[in-house]
Amino acid sequence: MLLIGKAQEGNGLEKSREVLELTTRIGEVLLKNGGEIFRVQQTMQMIAKAYGIKNFHVYVLANGIFVSIEENGYEMRKQIQTESPELEIASQIRYVPLSSVHLGRVAAVNNLSREIVAQKYTVAQAWERIEQIEKIPFTSNALQVLFSGLGSGSFCYLLGGSLIDSAASFLSGMLLWCFVLFISNRKANKIMVNILSSALVTLTGILFYLFLFGENMDKIIIGSIIPLLPGVPLTNSIRDFLNGDYLSGTIRMIDAVLVACCIALGVGVVLRIFPVITGITI
Amino acid sequence: MEMLMQVVVAFVATVSFAVLFQVPKEQYLYSGICGAVGWLCYLLVMNSYPSPTVSSFAAVVALTLMARIFAVRRKTPVTVFLICGLFPLVPGAGIYYTAYNFIMGYNDLAVAKGIETIKIAVAIALAIVCTFSLPAPVLGKLSGVRKKL
Repeated sequence: MLLIGKAQEGNGLEKSREVLELTTRIGEVLLKNGGEIFRVQQTMQMIAKAYGIKNFHVYVLANGIFVSIEENGYEMRKQIQTESPELEIASQIRYVPLSSVHLGRVAAVNNLSREIVAQKYTVAQAWERIEQIEKIPFTSNALQVLFSGLGSGSFCYLLGGSLIDSAASFLSGMLLWCFVLFISNRKANKIMVNILSSALVTLTGILFYLFLFGENMDKIIIGSIIPLLPGVPLTNSIRDFLNGDYLSGTIRMIDAVLVACCIALGVGVVLRIFPVITGITI
Repeated sequence: MEMLMQVVVAFVATVSFAVLFQVPKEQYLYSGICGAVGWLCYLLVMNSYPSPTVSSFAAVVALTLMARIFAVRRKTPVTVFLICGLFPLVPGAGIYYTAYNFIMGYNDLAVAKGIETIKIAVAIALAIVCTFSLPAPVLGKLSGVRKKL
């Protein structure tokens, strides 16, 4: 394979198109797995530059990528001034729906882009790498469930729960993640997933407190809703604002606020309805 | 002793979220350290100046600084360390108490809790903004690596 560089000027657009597709793909993987807007944009620009593309324009939103390249564009025609060569433009648009975060893939793409900039890969090899990265698996469901429980239990302790509370929170956190995995496989929408799962943990929290063990109902419930909290959209939104990507920052902020409201709603409804139905005051 | 225990638990909690967000295995330790440092800072400030807002701000500054240093040293996106470490400080309890008081009809308490939650969220945002505004060369010196970010 030949490295795409300034050497091949002949069928420039053909080669440029390949690079265009590659960068778009890389940007897509990065954005989908929780990269910041600024990182996606910068990575794509660096890769295009590394492969010798000059007129590369990219605009990234929280859920979309727009890229275009020009051959013999305005700049070129101004320089040559004589017979203007055909202007050729290629562009790509991608819709990237908000989806689950995989920071491992973000880190892997980061390494890949660093290596591309160091001229270690041809376009074809880079394609292979990005497809491999896309296939990096999620940790197994069992592990996710275990660590969700562990996270919940530890938070319950941090927020002032006793060891018994933490144990209850641990179990209810595990149950929560089982439910989240179960319902996510059935393509339920995100709003319902959040409302239902926070309602579920609130219910189990109440049941633990009333019938099994646990000293502080509030601590148990708080611990077990923690895995649902919108930490990722919140962080990304702040960083997007900071980098001047206000539109994407707003989209992610709405995501974060919406999730928080859904959690509050799920918790609130159960706390309200439970005593009415069962006649037990909490 | 109690504080040590808390910091250890914060470490465990952060690593748990690192697993949930698919952080690469070789970074678990470091994201855990970020979370533990953040929580330690929160506790220390809380002891001398008991305001959740101020403590969160201080904690997030410490945490973000650690995350940026690790990002430079370990050549990994800063998000990897930041997101997991931030989890202990996101006001989950605030959301719960706001919802609880609101639903139970204690409107005054709900408003107070709601405002406190928003204040903490703003403090976190501000802390991240402040720490990221430190120019890269300063950070390079801090982390002992002379290279651009």
